[in-house]
Amino acid sequence: MRTSLLETKRIEEHILHVSSPGEQLLFQAQLILDPALDEKAMAQQKAYSLIRSYGRKKLQEEIALVHAQLFQSPQHTPFKERILSLFQKK
Amino acid sequence: METKRPLCSPPSEREQLFIHLYKKAFPVVCKYISKRGGNMEQAKDVFQEALLLYYEKVVVGRTEIASNETAYLVGISKHLWFQLCTKEKGTCELGHHDLAAIEDEKLSDNKLLALLETSGKKCMDMLKAFYYDKLNMVQVAENFGYNSERSATVQKYKCLENIRNTVNQKQLQYEDFLA
Repeated sequence: MRTSLLETKRIEEHILHVSSPGEQLLFQAQLILDPALDEKAMAQQKAYSLIRSYGRKKLQEEIALVHAQLFQSPQHTPFKERILSLFQKK
Repeated sequence: METKRPLCSPPSEREQLFIHLYKKAFPVVCKYISKRGGNMEQAKDVFQEALLLYYEKVVVGRTEIASNETAYLVGISKHLWFQLCTKEKGTCELGHHDLAAIEDEKLSDNKLLALLETSGKKCMDMLKAFYYDKLNMVQVAENFGYNSERSATVQKYKCLENIRNTVNQKQLQYEDFLA
């Protein structure tokens, strides 16, 4: 793996807390001494948050498709009618 | 006691799981919300959010749940319904400034996400499979057509680096704009 990827891996191990306590301490000291590394670590943290948002968005789309299938496909008509009857005003 | 479901990662398996859960738990949730004056749209939103939380916690997070899956989903839905009612009554404790800051951050995140989705969809899908769906690198290599776990791992870090660089560039642009 090229050097920059090894650095990305090290940042990941620090952010996801998979490195040893000694390595965590050493890395924290490096973050203080090296602003460029600190900047990369912050951007990488943001990248994980964006990946999570992307995952949630895709899952929401999958769930919405299932809902549409259950309410549009003739195969599921009894289910749809059962649900709609629950919201009919008596 | 309901049978324990396997981890389902491919979309087709997830679809089957969601249909199964919809058929078992959605009618119970609808009945609950309807009795409390809610409508079908609200029941749908609440249940879909509950399904998302169930997937993250139980399917991916592998958390053992004390009750069966239907009871668990209904429990989350009741909680979300309560939250929705509280929010609609305007009892939210956040001030206007806090809300505006949250909205601004959300907006810039959405723009960034839209950019990443168009410029690096393959990377985002691969990273999602590993970090969100929690597939291991052997499964990621298989699903995304890499010869080995090692080459998939290298690609994973390249993708992560690309996203990190995009985040950095965009943040600089926002700072320039605000200065």
